[in-house]
Amino acid sequence: MDITWGSQLQYHAVYWPWPIAIYLFLAGLSAGSLMVAVLLKWLDKNNLPPWDGLIRAGAAIAPITIILGLVLLIVDLGKPLTFWYLMLYFKPSSVMSIGVWLLAVYTPFCLLFTMAIFKDHFFSGTLAGYIRFLQPVVTFYENNSVKIEVFLLTIASGVAIYTGFLLSAAIGLPLLNQPILPLLFLASGFSAGIAANIIIGLTVFKAVVEPKNLKYLLMLDLRVIPFELGMLFLMFAGMHFLGGAHALVGIQALTEGFWAGVFWFGVVGIGLVMPLIVAVTALHGHSYKKTTVLFNSVILLLGVLLLRFYILYAGQIYTG
Amino acid sequence: MADKKWAMVYDANKCIACQACSVACRVENNVPENLYRLQVQMEGPNGVYPKLGMNFHRQSCVMCNNPPCVPVCPTGASHINNEGVTLVDNNKCIGCKYCIVACPYKARFVNSVTSAADKCTFCWGTRVSKGQKPACVEQCITGALLFGDLNDPNSEVNVYLRNHHHILSKEHLNTKPKLYIIPSQRGGVKA
Repeated sequence: MDITWGSQLQYHAVYWPWPIAIYLFLAGLSAGSLMVAVLLKWLDKNNLPPWDGLIRAGAAIAPITIILGLVLLIVDLGKPLTFWYLMLYFKPSSVMSIGVWLLAVYTPFCLLFTMAIFKDHFFSGTLAGYIRFLQPVVTFYENNSVKIEVFLLTIASGVAIYTGFLLSAAIGLPLLNQPILPLLFLASGFSAGIAANIIIGLTVFKAVVEPKNLKYLLMLDLRVIPFELGMLFLMFAGMHFLGGAHALVGIQALTEGFWAGVFWFGVVGIGLVMPLIVAVTALHGHSYKKTTVLFNSVILLLGVLLLRFYILYAGQIYTG
Repeated sequence: MADKKWAMVYDANKCIACQACSVACRVENNVPENLYRLQVQMEGPNGVYPKLGMNFHRQSCVMCNNPPCVPVCPTGASHINNEGVTLVDNNKCIGCKYCIVACPYKARFVNSVTSAADKCTFCWGTRVSKGQKPACVEQCITGALLFGDLNDPNSEVNVYLRNHHHILSKEHLNTKPKLYIIPSQRGGVKA
């Protein structure tokens, strides 16, 4: 320590590190997977079992990823064993508190969707004896599926959107303090949901994937990606015109150090431009290779993960 | 009688960056090693050689009247009391660090002993609530720190602020700090 007044470490620490970045990714992914599965279920001839592999993929991914994400959130607390204090309070001024209650509703509904899609596995396997009491709930869901699915879509987009507001509430960190962040996270979460459902659908449930459903998802993705690119452009252009610390941090985040590299090569290059090129060159028409589709989905997912890392780290490191 | 509303004045003209305030703070509040509620940082040199000068900056909580760290807290551990002092209730704090991320003044940190968020308290619990001044103010040897009640028109801070031009840190954020800064008159174009 060569500074008279003491260590500077606490002023440059990243207080929300990698577990939070992965959580933000998983929350968006879970919400996206669920939304995509519901949208597919609403398509013509998809609304009755046997469920399409891409719907099953969403039903499998959504609860697993959100529960994993919640574990990461708890582990990252300074006092992990006090996490239940969050359930004692509701503070509408705190995006985190709003998020906790969104998740408290979202997670069980997510599991309900999963149980309905995998009804045969849950209620006839070894688990059946323990969860028989849930059978009426699943039956209720089946009888009111559209209404409940509208609610599912709403609360899933709520989860994806709140992760953006969580960061944008930081008024002293210009890269986080962005009105467009909730929308960007919703779009990229949706895109991650498409990619993950395709990956799991084409590997685990490949026997029951309808080509028309796969084509529908690829078509959706081709609309989300340019939208995301546009939003990133809006975000940095907006920072530039805001001036002051926002303009300064905008330049830093695009040009300085490791995280600028992550943005250009990872977020934009691997995650958005490359999938766009693959989609335009190799995925048009009626015949495309499964490996190409899988490769495209993997890089897309990687891009979404890197976007969360980039925003969170660059947002805390570059402060103007 | 109206509640008290505690405020502090930091006069950068009188400060010599001796760090006596910082040491007093550490002793009074048992701040763990390598963590700081308060530092006096030196900025500069400003000006053109040989006419050079240093400026000083008190790095601590600025005790906002509209503190961004309070509404973001999910449990209410981070709160502002009826005397305008922003405090952390260690028992309610779960260590989510949202307040640290939300503070535009980098005034908060994680206390390595309690795992809770920690910050300057104006020594409210140990001194101010008992009629004493904060440890940093008590120890300041040049009179660069003043402390008092904004609701009392004759308090030391009100009298001083009436006669001295002062600034607020990051005023544009509308946080309404109660740490009033008398900026250095030494001048010198910034390098």
